[in-house]
Amino acid sequence: MIRAENVTKIFGSDPESAIPLLEENKTKDEIRELTGQTVGVNKASFDIQQGEVFAIMGLSGCGKSTLIRCINRIIDPTAGHIFFKHPERGELDITELDEEGLRALRKENMSMVFQHFALLPHRTVLSNVGYGLEIQGRHRRQRREAAQRVLDMVGLGPWGRSYPSELSGGMQQRVGLARGLATDAEVLLMDEPFSALDPLIKVDMQQELTRIQRELHRTILFITHDLDEAMRIGDHIAIMEDGQIVQIGSPEQILVNPRTEYVAKFVEHADPTGVITASTIAMPLDSDEFLSAGERDGISYLHRKDLPHVRYGMDRDRRLHDVQMDEQDVPVRRLEEVLEDEDARPAASGRTGVALTCGEDTVLRQILRSRLVSTLPVVVTNGDGRVLGLIDDPELINGILEKRGQIS
Amino acid sequence: MGELFEFLHALMNDPFGFIDLPIRQAITDGVNWIVATFRDFSRTYISPPVRGVMNGVQWALDSVPPGIFMLATFILGWWAASWRVGVFGVVAFALIGFMGVWDQMIITLSLVVTAVFFCVLLGLPLGILSSRSDRFYAFMRPVLDIMQTTPPFVYLVPAVMLFSIGNVPGLIATIVFAMPPVIRLTNLGIRHVNSEFIEAALAFGSTKRQILWKVQFPLAMPTIMAGLNQTIMLSLSMVVIAAIIGAGGLGLEVYAGLERLNIGQAFVGGIGIVLLAMVLDRITQGFGEKAPGVGDRD
Repeated sequence: MIRAENVTKIFGSDPESAIPLLEENKTKDEIRELTGQTVGVNKASFDIQQGEVFAIMGLSGCGKSTLIRCINRIIDPTAGHIFFKHPERGELDITELDEEGLRALRKENMSMVFQHFALLPHRTVLSNVGYGLEIQGRHRRQRREAAQRVLDMVGLGPWGRSYPSELSGGMQQRVGLARGLATDAEVLLMDEPFSALDPLIKVDMQQELTRIQRELHRTILFITHDLDEAMRIGDHIAIMEDGQIVQIGSPEQILVNPRTEYVAKFVEHADPTGVITASTIAMPLDSDEFLSAGERDGISYLHRKDLPHVRYGMDRDRRLHDVQMDEQDVPVRRLEEVLEDEDARPAASGRTGVALTCGEDTVLRQILRSRLVSTLPVVVTNGDGRVLGLIDDPELINGILEKRGQIS
Repeated sequence: MGELFEFLHALMNDPFGFIDLPIRQAITDGVNWIVATFRDFSRTYISPPVRGVMNGVQWALDSVPPGIFMLATFILGWWAASWRVGVFGVVAFALIGFMGVWDQMIITLSLVVTAVFFCVLLGLPLGILSSRSDRFYAFMRPVLDIMQTTPPFVYLVPAVMLFSIGNVPGLIATIVFAMPPVIRLTNLGIRHVNSEFIEAALAFGSTKRQILWKVQFPLAMPTIMAGLNQTIMLSLSMVVIAAIIGAGGLGLEVYAGLERLNIGQAFVGGIGIVLLAMVLDRITQGFGEKAPGVGDRD
């Protein structure tokens, strides 16, 4: 949907003078010393898919806010290209649009949500939400109806006639979000939208955004300095340092395989339980931790070295057939179902001898919870139902403590 | 050697004796030329509209019975600021009436309203222009300084020569003297609108004109109102000076009282001006503080 190619922004009296130095891979500090120019964004490239949330994470001053403003050219990039797949006109290079084209893009295709909300204090909430529609030239009635619809969506339906100053921070940002959604733009640029909010409100808003995104499937570029937030919201994450993007990947890829020291330092304090998936930590079936326990009626049995009395029977396609403990059949259930039962009637089942299976995408947190229901290892299967491996306590503990090195 | 010493001696003691700048004559000639050239123009094109507005305002204010006038003052003061301001307005106008200068006050108020009307009419666009172009503002700044600091007495006589005696030259002098705050504070108010609002408006595709009218201007309103308040105060301070060249009202009361050494009459005029100034100040300040939130159309 949006593809950035070597987007570069240099601040100063003569930005062009710094470009050749960037080509020589000089650092930001060296360039400032040599030319007096400040590098804001240094050759940032990325590709945002339609309908995904793409998070850019970095500390303050790393250039992430400059980068997002280059996308809708509130700041003009010094070099590089930004391609946008326009729904009617095909691929456009945003960096080559004239003033008129740029305004059309901002009116129809790209909207923005700001860190400090930037709601107009002299307008009511409804009129703020309708601002973009007003600029689009829609009629007053149509505008109010559309604005009210989005306001209902963010849960502020009855607040349309209030002024922004009468609302709490969290509510103000809901208005900011509603304003961004109201124009039906394909792309939503969000510049640290939740950074100015209290921690509890922040989590609320993250869930709210996720809920709305499930409904609307906008393409969202989300800036944040909070890795946990990036992981919770982002389908992909780009990590920025000193104006450069140092790593792009899924939250799990970044958590498990931080590419630089800088990324590793961030990741160290991130909460892995919502990100790490079963397939990452499972002990694979073909490892030498497993021993064969014979074959019967075309079903071959395996057991773990340290747990010889629990046997797993699988057919030729490695689909799970049965689980036996001390030669007795053990009931097999889906982990998700068991957790749902738990939610409905907490602790009704107690810890029982149930063997659980889960999909490869099940996150660590859920597997940890399942230990309250069953102490047997969890069987991890892929989409076709083939067994990939087992997760027992050692894998869980490793998953929490040493999150890296196993997936690529 | 001796000659050089003589020269240096003269240079140190009387350095200005060497050149005689013929500035007095030049200005006299210049003003005479301006008067001769523009007298007809100013009397046909500038005087009538100014006089027309003045007469209209005065007719309107005159036609309101004093009781209704004070009631309206109360409501206006209450609405703009608080009931206290409303009560104060009524008391102040009652005092003016009891002192026997009600009619003069109406004339002065008409002069002020007319002057402020033209100050806003000209000052607002100039202020907006100044805020949008650094070059224009660089040009305006010395002009504004000149307008504000030149003693009004200096241009009273040329004003009379151009516009003859009466309310009009007084009004012109007042407009020149009182307009700068509107220009300055409109410029300041617009320039100081937080850039995040401009950025938000830009991000939704607003044109420069839309940003001006939908964002900058309404947000600059409190500052512009402060400028308007100053303009009103400055034009009130001009009414006595304007009386010298034939403007009527409370100013004339002061001027005539001084001329006849009638201290009481002069003071009555003076107290009237102060009371009127205080009422106008409180009410316009009330509007200024109310400004954000006003002007919402949706």
